[in-house]
Order: sequence, then C-alpha cells, then structure tokens
Amino acid sequence: MKHAVRRCAGICLSALAAIVTLAGSAVSRVHAEESQFGYVYTTDLLPQGAKEVEQWATWRHQKVAGYFDQVDGRTEFEYGMTDKLQLAFYANYVWSRAYHNGPFEETTPPEPLSYDRPGPDDHYSAKRFVGFSGEAIYRIWSPYTDPLGVAVYVEPTVGPQFRELETKLILQKNFFDDRLVTAFNFTYAPELRYDWSDDAMTHKRWQEETDVNLNVAASYRFAPNWSAGVELLNEREYASYNFSNEANDGYYVGPVIHYGGKKFFVTATFLEQLPWASSHSDTVPGAIVGRRIYDNDFEKYRVRIKAGWYF
Amino acid sequence: MKSRFLLIPAYALVVAAPVQATVYMSVEQAQAQMFPGATLTPDFVTLTPEQVKAIEKACDVNVLSPNVKAWRASTGGWFIADQVVGKHEFIPFALALDDKGAVKSVEILEYRETYGDQVRNEAWRAQFTGKTHAAPLKLGTDIQNISGATLSSRHITDGVKRLLTTYDLVLSKQQG
Repeated sequence: MKHAVRRCAGICLSALAAIVTLAGSAVSRVHAEESQFGYVYTTDLLPQGAKEVEQWATWRHQKVAGYFDQVDGRTEFEYGMTDKLQLAFYANYVWSRAYHNGPFEETTPPEPLSYDRPGPDDHYSAKRFVGFSGEAIYRIWSPYTDPLGVAVYVEPTVGPQFRELETKLILQKNFFDDRLVTAFNFTYAPELRYDWSDDAMTHKRWQEETDVNLNVAASYRFAPNWSAGVELLNEREYASYNFSNEANDGYYVGPVIHYGGKKFFVTATFLEQLPWASSHSDTVPGAIVGRRIYDNDFEKYRVRIKAGWYF
Repeated sequence: MKSRFLLIPAYALVVAAPVQATVYMSVEQAQAQMFPGATLTPDFVTLTPEQVKAIEKACDVNVLSPNVKAWRASTGGWFIADQVVGKHEFIPFALALDDKGAVKSVEILEYRETYGDQVRNEAWRAQFTGKTHAAPLKLGTDIQNISGATLSSRHITDGVKRLLTTYDLVLSKQQG
C-alpha cells in the first residue's frame, strides 16, 4: 500500500515539478486564463492567439476493500482561436493497481481499463494510453459584461477501446469585484466502451453509457494570486443515452486551492465521496458500501493537481 | 518521500520569485506628467462610513478602501492615486482631474496581470478625458470594451467612476 501511495505521489510530484520548473523559464510576454477549480470549468478563456500547456494528474484512492489506486494523466495544449473560442488538444493516460477492491471484494480494474478481466484474487496493475481528446469552449456571455457568464463545451475522445462525446453547459457568476467566483457545470457525456458482454465473457462488444454530472464550485481570492474554495460534484452514470437504466450516483465534496501567477498557475483539489449514494435499476450488486458507490468510475478519495504555463 | 513533498512550496517560491510587476511609472512621475510644472500638495482623506455608503450608492461601485490619496494641483485640479482589482493582483492607476472635476487623463502605474495590459493603450484611456461624475462610465456604453482584457477594462472604468463620484461628494467640498 505504502509503495502504491509513494508511486502515485511520485508521479504527481514529478509532473508538478516539471511544470513549475518550465514555468519559471517562460517568456515574459504572455497571455493566459487559468483553471481556478480542479473539476469545475469557468467561462474564462484564453484571449485570441494565446497558448497554454497544462498538465493534470488525478489520483483516485480506495474502494470497497483491499487496495485501489489510479492515476489519470492528461497533457494538454490550449489555444485561443478568438477571444470567445478556445480549442484544446490532449492525451490521456492511466496507471492503476487494485486488489480485492470491487464488489464482494473481487479485484476489479478501473473504468478506463474495464476491458481487462483479472481474476477475483489477482493483484492487478496496469498502465495504458487511453486516447486523444479535442476540446472546444465557446463563450456566449461574459461574467464581466453580462449578468451571467455562459459557455458551451464540446470534447470528443477517441481511443482504441473508447469513444466519447462530452458536452457541458458552463455558467459563471462573480461577486465582490470578481474576487468571489462561482460556477456551475451540467455535463452530458454519451460514450461507447468496447468491453466484455455482460452476459457472456467470451467476446467483447461496444456498449452504451452516459455520464451526467452536476457540478458546482466557489472560490474566493483571499490574497493577491491566491484563491481558495470548495467544489461539490454529483456524478451519475446511465447504461443508456436517454437517462434510463441509471447505474450509479455519487457525490463528492472538498476544498480547492489555486495560485495564479503571471506565467503559470497551480490548482489542487481534494475530494471525498459523501455517503449519499443510492441503488438504481442498473447498479451492480455489492457496489454500494456504507452508502458510497464504488463501481468502476467511483472511489472514496480523489486528488487532482493541475498546472499550466503560458507562452 | 516526505522530503519530496516539502519540495512543493520550495518550487512555488522559486517560480514565484521571478514574477515581477511591470512598473510603468511611479506616483511622482505620474504627477509630473499629468500636471507639468505644477506643485502638488497632499490632501489625503479618510472617508467616513457614511461617505463610503453614499459613494457606493451614487456610482454602484464598491469602495475598496476608505483612504483616498489625493493631491491638489497648484494650477487647479486634483491628482488621485488609487487601485482596482485585477485578475490576480491590484492594478495601481492615477487619475488627473481639472479644476471643474472632469478627467484630464488616466495613467496605469503598474500592471502585474498575465494579460489585459491593453488598458495602457493611449486611445483607450483617452475615452475618459472630459468625463465627469455625471457620465454613465459603463463598459460597452460610453467606454469601449477591450476584447480579451474585459476584466481589467471593466475594473479601470469602475475605478474612474468611483473616484469621480468621490470627487463630487467629498473632495470638491474640501476647504482649499
């Protein structure tokens, strides 16, 4: 266990160290708009012609029992096409280890690697490339000139075993001379996952799933360059595209801290799942323990560190 | 492992240290440029809670500090050094008013933000010239927005409006 924690922390720290080191050598004439939250998006975008590189590391920890660790990595390039349209392109990759972590304490791989089928008592470990993603955010209203910031987000992901079209409605409202930033995201993300058939383990097929998230966050700039706040996520999964066959429903809450400098930013969020989960028509038996859901894409703790630099 | 965790703040310090503000001019330099040849006499004011409330009600802009750093010009008019909220840090600026309380000029003294330094553009700042407390001073109405620098544009506009109202309600009533 300690080895896994060290490995997770090592990956996160290495990514962070590389980013902040590179950030220190960035050129002086820069444009940027940083992520103030770990999970929740705002309508603040890069100005036209501005470029940014971001590195994300998300550590997911602990499921039903045994041990479980997963580190999702994301390396991203963002570009301001216009002052209202921001494009991004990134690579997603994952490392995980698991043992007796799933329903009925069977070893279960995480969602990005759900096509793997380890034995129930195996010590599972894998690292894999997940896929490339493209992302576009278009701002309709600005929180600085309109009553409410409004933006729409589209992100297709294509990978060897995975296809997804993630869409978001992003709302932002600022208070106290824009020092208090609040934001709400509604996410609808239909996906296809090439996975083992539920009824027979002899062949794989493309399966439908939809992630629906209702996320809200608030952050206050308490000192120059520094802001801190809280994020609350509600993540729902459906085994369909039309909100039928609900499988999972999890809630997460936790603090976020953000440093925004002239040439770089760092954001860190810690989340814990709340004991608010309930059983639905397609919930996997044994996946809810202590009113927390521990199916593929859910775990007890999450830590996300995002860092970016501008050039 | 613990020692690697301790590197996080160390990295932050190393990187944060070289982030310098861009200082365009000092208060003294701004005074010399905005009131050439004039002698400026400090007439600093601490606003009472009632005055703060009255200013906020009149201009619909929050008063950040009750302390007003104002100087009287020997040639007539006022010089005020103030600041507004930027994305990450405050943006110090200076406002010169003529003897009738109309804007002579606006200068950005320092700019520490990642982007938005187009508010230093002379043509954009010239939009304020001649404005009084009676002007709308609203971004997108009588002051043009700078796309890609909206937050800074709006806060500078609000800052000028707040100081014009401060002049109207407080400074103009001060004994000379």
